[in-house]
Amino acid sequence: MISLWSRQILAVLRLEMRKTFFARRGLWIYLLALAPVVLFAAHSIDVMQQRAQRQQRAAACSFSPERMAEIKPGMTREQVIAMLGQPAHRDMRRRRREAHEFLWYSDAQTDFIIHLTGGEVTGINRRESSNLSEDSLVFAGVFQFFYLRLAVFFGCLGVFMNLFRGELLDKSLHFYFLAPVRREVVLAGKFLAGLIATVLIFSLSTVLQLWALSWHFDSNSIQQYLWQGNGAHHVAAYIGVTALACIGYGSVLLAAGIFFRNPIVPAALVLIWESANWILPAALKKISIIFYLQSLSPIVAPAGYNVPPPLALLASTAAATPAYLAITGLLLMSLVVLTIAALKLRRLEINYSTD
Amino acid sequence: MPESTGQSGVIVFDNVSKFYGDVLGVNRVNLSIPPGVTSLVGPNGSGKTTLMNLMTGLVQPTAGRISVRGVAPSQPELLFGFTGYCTQFDSFPKGLTGFQYVYSWLRLSGRPHAEAESMAWAAIDTVNLREAAVRKVAAYSKGMRQRIKLAQSIAHNPSVLVLDEPLNGLDPLVRAETIALFREQARAGRHVILSSHVLQEVDAISDQVVLLAGGYVVAEGQIRGVRSEIQDHPMQILIRCDKPGALAARVFQQDHVVEARIHADRRGLLIKTRDPEQFYLLLNQIALNGIEIESVAPADDDVNSVYEYLIGSEEATK
Repeated sequence: MISLWSRQILAVLRLEMRKTFFARRGLWIYLLALAPVVLFAAHSIDVMQQRAQRQQRAAACSFSPERMAEIKPGMTREQVIAMLGQPAHRDMRRRRREAHEFLWYSDAQTDFIIHLTGGEVTGINRRESSNLSEDSLVFAGVFQFFYLRLAVFFGCLGVFMNLFRGELLDKSLHFYFLAPVRREVVLAGKFLAGLIATVLIFSLSTVLQLWALSWHFDSNSIQQYLWQGNGAHHVAAYIGVTALACIGYGSVLLAAGIFFRNPIVPAALVLIWESANWILPAALKKISIIFYLQSLSPIVAPAGYNVPPPLALLASTAAATPAYLAITGLLLMSLVVLTIAALKLRRLEINYSTD
Repeated sequence: MPESTGQSGVIVFDNVSKFYGDVLGVNRVNLSIPPGVTSLVGPNGSGKTTLMNLMTGLVQPTAGRISVRGVAPSQPELLFGFTGYCTQFDSFPKGLTGFQYVYSWLRLSGRPHAEAESMAWAAIDTVNLREAAVRKVAAYSKGMRQRIKLAQSIAHNPSVLVLDEPLNGLDPLVRAETIALFREQARAGRHVILSSHVLQEVDAISDQVVLLAGGYVVAEGQIRGVRSEIQDHPMQILIRCDKPGALAARVFQQDHVVEARIHADRRGLLIKTRDPEQFYLLLNQIALNGIEIESVAPADDDVNSVYEYLIGSEEATK
């Protein structure tokens, strides 16, 4: 029996993979997965350009960074230049009828921008070159608050929701229902097809994002991060979390496609619930997929990441669930949802005129 | 394999009703369909497709029980091992060629590649579609789509073949071949359940008919048996003879003869009688009394007339 079911699942996979990967209407899913890669690549290009400019500025001025500590507010432009030498670059701006002047010094790693108002020093701004730990935190924020909640969610919506609902709308689901195959086996085959497609697309995107983010670092730093630091573990964890997100959201959205004639409404409710997770009380947080995915992420992004300060006050925290519990819980939840969906599928009627 | 089940028996509808919300599909259907060609006949909306969808599990009955050769339609893994259904749905999984459509279905049933491939080509050959089989189904004409659906439904040599308007869109040659195929299946002791609007074809193909109107079974059985039970309409009999006038004078003396009309070619007499058996006895006597009778044939015991009497009148009263 297992052998028969395996052959039938493979037959479903063969039919579904073609539709999932090469459907023209699925092009937006690839674009969605590619969006953060483009974002991080743009960031890397910007960092590399800034680095080149910083090196130009460092070459244009010769100063000792230690002396920067001696610059105090109230000092005049002439005093500053006497201590540090001529700046690499000067900016002049007028704001509220006051002249603001910015003197740029650089040591190739850090830009020092001395702010003078009315000819006197009012502040020093340091702009450091991008570093791995800072970029890791940025990645964690984008991954947890944009990638998982929006890109992976909508990608799964596009793939899993259409596995049954799409065929009902295309009036072609009877092809499966008129074959000597258990409907549960059809569901398993279709879910696996959706899972393979989404895990491949979004895991590849995760890897490409990490590559794009680290593009501007030299290969030594990358090697060190990967093999002597936590880099390899982080990459594996992010891929694992992406796969679990596909399993979790995939099962819920597949079930929505079976249960609801217009599954967009329940999908929107799930999205709102998942997006509002950061302000929910600890007990409610745990009734969501994103909470467990965040628990499994190797770097915890601050709650309310990228949220304006007044709203950030609403953010609440809950203790992360241990990895083994989070993984088991997510897999069990998916299994339960798929079992309920299979029971419904067993009773599903083909009545295209009403769908 | 599932084919091992359901090799004998009948198709049973036991007090089956199906409602789509408030809309009646079929109501209190009791049928026992033996092997052979059974035609479901009735106007649009009479419940033909609903009956077929019920027996193949595409819809579930609101009440009652269905059994197809001992298997419940809620067990597709068993049912479709010996059942093929050629639906009226004119849509296919996207991107498949005709061959892939039949082949994929056979792979879904768990058959290995080589077996599925040879069975698919055999079915495609049966419907004369080999040349077009490598083309996408989306590019097929209506007739070709009908034939590839038929190929898919017969590919696994089912013992129950359910066909919803299977002759639609077929050219005369393929039509004749398809009808011959159905007869062959019936002769082999298989069930062929079909619906058709073309009553002449139903008449030529069917061993028995199920007449439906407004979701109810109006009549069922062999067509002549059904006709003889219709008392409201006297039986029409055409007698070819050399003296139709004399014959008319003779038969009009009988109470059960309600009408006698000389045929337009003046070489026959069309009579209407309420008691055909009495009339046939009378004819034997007449034949002995100098009127030469060439042939005697019922003129209205075909599906067309039965349909007209049973359903035409219902349609008219609506």
